[in-house]
Amino acid sequence: MITVDTTTLADIINQCFAFSADGRFSDDQQGDFLADGKRLRGLLLNLISAQFNDGTQSVLDANIKLTEVNKQLDKDAVVLANATQALNNVANLVGTLDKLLNVAASFL
Amino acid sequence: MRKNFARRRPTIALVLYLGPLILAVAVLSGCIGNRYVAPLTTFRNETRQTVGVLSDFYASRNSYEIDIYLQTIAADQSQKIQEKDSQGHPTPLGAPVFSPAGIKARMDALNLVGVYAGKLYDLANPDQSASFGDAANALGKNLSSLSDTFQKLDGTSDPTAKNYIGLVSGLVGTIGQMYIDRKRDELITSAIRTGAPQVDAILSQIRDDMDKIFSLEVTTGANDKLATLIRAYNEGREKLTFEQRVSRLAEVKAAANEAAAAVGSAPSNVVAAMMDAHTKLVKFANSPKKQRPGSFAEFNSALQGWTTQIQTVASQIKLIIH
Repeated sequence: MITVDTTTLADIINQCFAFSADGRFSDDQQGDFLADGKRLRGLLLNLISAQFNDGTQSVLDANIKLTEVNKQLDKDAVVLANATQALNNVANLVGTLDKLLNVAASFL
Repeated sequence: MRKNFARRRPTIALVLYLGPLILAVAVLSGCIGNRYVAPLTTFRNETRQTVGVLSDFYASRNSYEIDIYLQTIAADQSQKIQEKDSQGHPTPLGAPVFSPAGIKARMDALNLVGVYAGKLYDLANPDQSASFGDAANALGKNLSSLSDTFQKLDGTSDPTAKNYIGLVSGLVGTIGQMYIDRKRDELITSAIRTGAPQVDAILSQIRDDMDKIFSLEVTTGANDKLATLIRAYNEGREKLTFEQRVSRLAEVKAAANEAAAAVGSAPSNVVAAMMDAHTKLVKFANSPKKQRPGSFAEFNSALQGWTTQIQTVASQIKLIIH
């Protein structure tokens, strides 16, 4: 059985919340980061105990995406330079993770 | 004169017989103490505290999630309060985020560790009066009948016998206690050896739970609360009075403290400290006599580390669970 990389997901969530209170972003961008952080946290609580069959491609892809997004958000300068792109990536991640709930084999 | 001597002869014979025995008992009783009393008393007390703190933590998980949800609603007047969201997923108000059965199972497992520590304590601290009868039986009729013999002599043919009643009773008690201590030592050592794998398994599971599930829940939850309050303040600050702003900012400060306390997985740390103390207890129980002082010192050191962790964690968890 495999699981979603929830540790990386938690890092992304915390980064979203941090950006939501970061005055270098516009008010709207801050609001978007807060909303995305909350959506991702809702997914985290559902996925935290979910288990998937070995080799489930959507989970493997999601974990790669989680790592990529986390790397992007980890560099403030990159996010500030392209906040719109960063927010799009996070929004895509929300969609990707949302679909995983339907393919979970079990919840502990 | 000769008659008196003859009457006292059984007493003298018994004293001559018992003299070396009394001496040996006096020496041995100093060597064979109950080595488990103090450490298992501390172990039991710390386990109780840890179980209490962690049970409070577990029990508050769903309430914590409802708080976060309601705070989000309160901070954003465009949002309605609902039991299911627009996609049909239940909100924390509509269904518990963590299954009550799962929480109960974890608390039951923790309580089991508490029972284990309590049983070890009971073994190390049995009721003295109750254990004496068992000891006397275990020692056999010879020893207990010796005491009876002196009891019967009291006030009859041997006027000095009464002087020995207390002594012999004490001796029987001491020998009995030594027997109990030896038996007790074996029982506790056996109980620790037998219980250790299960206790380790339960504590490992709880620690992993804390690291992989609840630590992530608490850190993201605390940051969620803080971010929500900051956003709410920034958006509404122009309409607030001075007193209202002060009040809101005090809430922000409390949330910031909570977020800081959530970092580092405090509940996991206390479980890790508990596991360390338990490992040292098992090592102490298994150590050969020559190595006991060293392993006892290690155990005591681990207990102290655990005690410090409990105090730290108890205060941090108070911040986290309110």
